[in-house]
Amino acid sequence: MTWIDFPLYSGIVFVLWVVGLVVLLISYKKKPLIKVANILFALGWVVLIVFVAKLWNELDRPPMRTLGETRLWYSTFLPLIGFVTYFRWKYKWFLGYSFIMAIVFLAINYLNPETYSKTLMPALQSVWFVPHVLVYLFSYAVLAASSIVAIKGWYDSYKGDFKLETLKLADNLVYIGFAFLTLGLLFGALWAKEAWGHYWTWDPKEVWAFLTWMGYLIYIHYRHFHPQKTKQSLTILALAFVVLLVCWFGVNYLPVANTSVHTYTQY
Amino acid sequence: MSNNTTQIRRNLWDAPWGYVESFFIGIGLMLTGFFLEISSSGSLDFTVSYPYNLYFLLGYVGFLLILYFGFRNTQVVRWLTKVPASISSIVLITFLVMIMGIVPQIPSENNIITNLGLNKITSNWAFLLVLFQFLTCLGLITIKRIVQFKTENIGFILNHLGLFLALVAGMLGTGDLQRLSLNTFENKHSWVATDINNKEVELPFAVYLNEFLIEEYNPKLALIDNVSGEVVENDGKNLYLINKDEDYIYKNYQVNVEKFHTSSGRIGDRYMPVSDIGSPPSAYLSVKNIENDSIVKGWISCGSFAHPYQSLKLDSKYSFVMTIPEAKKFSSDIDIVSKEGDKTKTVLEVNKPYKYNGWKLYQLSYNEKMGKWSKLSVIELVRDPWLPVIYTGIFMMIAGAFYMFWVGNKITKN
Repeated sequence: MTWIDFPLYSGIVFVLWVVGLVVLLISYKKKPLIKVANILFALGWVVLIVFVAKLWNELDRPPMRTLGETRLWYSTFLPLIGFVTYFRWKYKWFLGYSFIMAIVFLAINYLNPETYSKTLMPALQSVWFVPHVLVYLFSYAVLAASSIVAIKGWYDSYKGDFKLETLKLADNLVYIGFAFLTLGLLFGALWAKEAWGHYWTWDPKEVWAFLTWMGYLIYIHYRHFHPQKTKQSLTILALAFVVLLVCWFGVNYLPVANTSVHTYTQY
Repeated sequence: MSNNTTQIRRNLWDAPWGYVESFFIGIGLMLTGFFLEISSSGSLDFTVSYPYNLYFLLGYVGFLLILYFGFRNTQVVRWLTKVPASISSIVLITFLVMIMGIVPQIPSENNIITNLGLNKITSNWAFLLVLFQFLTCLGLITIKRIVQFKTENIGFILNHLGLFLALVAGMLGTGDLQRLSLNTFENKHSWVATDINNKEVELPFAVYLNEFLIEEYNPKLALIDNVSGEVVENDGKNLYLINKDEDYIYKNYQVNVEKFHTSSGRIGDRYMPVSDIGSPPSAYLSVKNIENDSIVKGWISCGSFAHPYQSLKLDSKYSFVMTIPEAKKFSSDIDIVSKEGDKTKTVLEVNKPYKYNGWKLYQLSYNEKMGKWSKLSVIELVRDPWLPVIYTGIFMMIAGAFYMFWVGNKITKN
């Protein structure tokens, strides 16, 4: 099967999630329907996980080598974050956004057929490969969720009904995301030492990963010491996410790209 | 926290210094650094090696301790241990590293880039001065929290001290870091390596290469345009590995692999299994055009340094070709021979380095033109005596990350 069955699986997931979103919208009026929405979301998620598991099994290598494969993981992690956050904070809009984002990333993959290639270069054949990539993508997904909160915060203050608890949700997500970001960065350093002989070489991807880390570091310090300056915090959070996006996709397009070992495989 | 309604109007440089003063000082340091870059011609070599880097580390930590315990109440030290100083230096480092992330760090013909040293940020005065302020802040607040120890500060100390150790040891350690590459040839002893500047370095031991081995993936099957020679379909993304008896569909061609040899030679108009040096893989395909049911059969081979390639022409538009196999795994079976003549046997592989007397040996590369028939194996040798300190820092930060996860998890609505 490999990626060949992707249209079928993603189609099922897509239908379940879109219907789920519609039910979620209706549940603003008819409260009990939220359960139905959650069941639809959960069913779609299970189908997606089955696809990922089958793909991993059939490729004979972890499906984490190409940009499309990272998007698949992103779509897989976002629902988890949506669920956990929903059960803790009871924000329906957040649940909705997580699934919309997950659908968008599935759609991008649907429109860009992925590679079926089973090859994996020797440098990537390491026990660090899976933890490094998974921890990073989980962190990206959590931090993306935090930037959605930032957008919501901006919108709320524009309408004049900003609540401080929105930023607390952002803090909740940033702390967790940042913890994983730190782990991803450090696992990468430990791996690099085993594979290339040095833990840090200022490779362009490393530079941008470091910048992403610094961006959220600024947010955490600023929030901690200026809890009342909400607008500034929201701005820092949004900017940090822009840096993260450059790190994930943008590096490939910068003039520094051809000196990187991290550019995702195209073939 | 300052209360917005009764904020007292204060003048610049009135105590305590805030963000304006912090950025003033930080940007001042940065501009001083750039000025130094412009006025100092040529490249500076900042590396200090043992024992001077160790003296420097002890001196620096001593300096921080004296600053904290002797001058805690002075304006400067109070400023350095407060948030505006930290945030401004984090922001300025981010700014300078961002330049590194945009301007390629290679020699440039642009005068502005060269004169300001924007293509060598890590040894740029501006970066070093700002980093020095950053590390001083980091060191002082770490001392402050350790002195005022509380259990809930453990996470703080792990993160901050860990970062301090990893950064300082990483920077000072470059002076003692040795990275050499050694060319080894099958059935020969090698002991003269070269460093980054291509200078020869004699090793305290020799490496004897018994055998260099490559395991390859099967080659892939590609459909190409006869005129342009480009791979067609999905920008060349979806290529299948060639396996015997498998069926593949490319555009409207159904391909069946009837025969496949990993190592073969051409005899007349067909390929037979042969295992000579330079004998390439080959496959016999049967291709059916789904539109008109016509069938084309024939051999393809990717060739090698010793033999030409063979493609299969389907019609006026397309042909099938075989790609050169990708390496799955490469390894060197070596003996390390000490000066006393003691032999240590090991196999080096990518991602599986071997530790020997303070050195770490890595499988680096081989003669790619020769591919799996390469008699050359390039081994990288690394000596990094500061690594334990750096790892201590890294593991402290990993522990700190778990702590952050735990704290972040506890944040709720109330």
